[in-house]
Amino acid sequence: MFEFCLHVLTLACIYGLIALALNLQAGYTGLLNFGHIAFVGIGAYAVGIGHLAGWALLPSLIAGVLAAMALAWLVARLGRNLASDYWGIATLAVAEIVRIIALNQDSLTGGAQGISALPGLFAGASNAHQNLYTTLLLMVLTALFAVLSVRLANSRFGRALRLLREQPQLASCLGYDLLQLKSRALMASAALAALGGALLASYTSYVSADYLLAAQTFLVWSMVMIGGLGSVRGVLLGALLVQCAYSFVPFAKDYLNIGSDVAGALRIGLVGVILLVCLLWRSGGLLPERLRVMP
Amino acid sequence: MLQFLLDTLARTADLALIALGLSLVYGLAKFPNVAHVQYAMLGAFVAVALQRSGCPLPLAMVASCLAMGCLAVLLHIGVFRRLLRSGPAIAMIGSLALSMIIGALVLGFAGSSPLSYRLPIEAPLSLGEAMLARSQLLSMLTTLVLLVLFAIVLFKTRLGRSMRALACNAPLAAAAGLNADGITYWVNFMSGALAGLGGSLLAMNTSAYTNLGSDLLLPIFAAAILGGLGNPLGAVLGALLIALTETLVTNLNIGWLYGQAMAFIPVGYIGAASFLMLLLALIFRPYGLFDREVRRV
Repeated sequence: MFEFCLHVLTLACIYGLIALALNLQAGYTGLLNFGHIAFVGIGAYAVGIGHLAGWALLPSLIAGVLAAMALAWLVARLGRNLASDYWGIATLAVAEIVRIIALNQDSLTGGAQGISALPGLFAGASNAHQNLYTTLLLMVLTALFAVLSVRLANSRFGRALRLLREQPQLASCLGYDLLQLKSRALMASAALAALGGALLASYTSYVSADYLLAAQTFLVWSMVMIGGLGSVRGVLLGALLVQCAYSFVPFAKDYLNIGSDVAGALRIGLVGVILLVCLLWRSGGLLPERLRVMP
Repeated sequence: MLQFLLDTLARTADLALIALGLSLVYGLAKFPNVAHVQYAMLGAFVAVALQRSGCPLPLAMVASCLAMGCLAVLLHIGVFRRLLRSGPAIAMIGSLALSMIIGALVLGFAGSSPLSYRLPIEAPLSLGEAMLARSQLLSMLTTLVLLVLFAIVLFKTRLGRSMRALACNAPLAAAAGLNADGITYWVNFMSGALAGLGGSLLAMNTSAYTNLGSDLLLPIFAAAILGGLGNPLGAVLGALLIALTETLVTNLNIGWLYGQAMAFIPVGYIGAASFLMLLLALIFRPYGLFDREVRRV
């Protein structure tokens, strides 16, 4: 049971990092990125491909982060003159193209089989300790990035991003270069998402094109929306809640004796229902963003 | 060449009705409804289930079409009208949640194995060198008839005129005394019904499966955006363009690049063609190919 709790906590931390990254775009900057998972996938595949090429974990992780930031720069250029919902659909298409490339470049990515047997984070330690160390490291990392995220939100850059979200015309009147602000926010977010993806790949020792499915992006979105768009505490809470709901399903499956199709449906449906209920009755999320309102 | 043309038209027939419905609702509600493709998936399942339980095929299709229309209206009243008060972005995320729920319900009740109609196996028609399945011919003809009917409704009737007025300038239409709610219900009904019919026709050539909706999502959006979201007949031309691209990419012989007689683009990449078209459309013509009036920033 303890091992299982560690597992849920670890996954919640990893998804927490990814959701914090999405919060940088969607929460602070108001960008509707439905292709967020592409950055995560690039980070995860960087670890896999680096392992096949015989690289150590750290250099391949850095390469993944850089590749994701390059993609983010391109995606930000794409949004130069698009309305936000059109841009959202464009990012969905970008992520799908990345997934199709990953699925078909067999020599590089292992195709539909994916790349398995990736080394863990603490390959040297004994089995029992390995998971504990991983969880501790991830909790420290998540806390670190949560603090950084809060500090960023209160910095001048964060205020500029929120101004861009609320009043883009006013922001450009004040002399902010909107495109540059957007691409910087997007690149920072991509770096964090790629880090999350790399950690996910090395924790699960596996990476495949399934990590890049559009449904995964929607999962991260529901974490952010359930917790509270723009609020760091909310996003972390949302990641934990959705992860718990996900991990609860296998128990329900054994307890109620249901088939694997129904169990899969229960997972997706549960997250969908929570998300819809949140949107209908608490559109700010469970812990909404607190804005300072001038009297 | 004839085969190429027929393949393109068959694919257009698959996409056109669903893309038309998406564009129609966007014109009024001003948000891209991601759940729209799930109506098509659900419609396919309803029609297949009815036909397999002994209902004649045309009746099964009409029933699924009406059911999807009613579902679209109910969801509009219960969900989207509330969400739209918080803005189009929230409504789009809500439609995403809804599409997850519909997908989960179908997966839970129907299972993940594909279902198809119980139809007798018939030899395809041969026109010269080209072959065409009877079901494809049927779906092409049905689509054509419906498109003509729809165009008549949109351009010749009072309802169509009010729909266009409301999409073009809602406050002015309200000032002129149009019943905006009633028209919105009609438009939602039509779009849901068209999606359900499109889905049940689609299931005739392949089968009804749970990922049908997510497989359709990007081609349908690409078609609707190419035609200009909110311009229903543009969406049909967009569907034609997407179908043309897909067929062209499938049949393109790139042997000359490698110095061989025959070389084709791998099948896995064909799906990427329509996404690429979508990106190009968004970069160069974000308001659609036939943009004249409605413009948003």
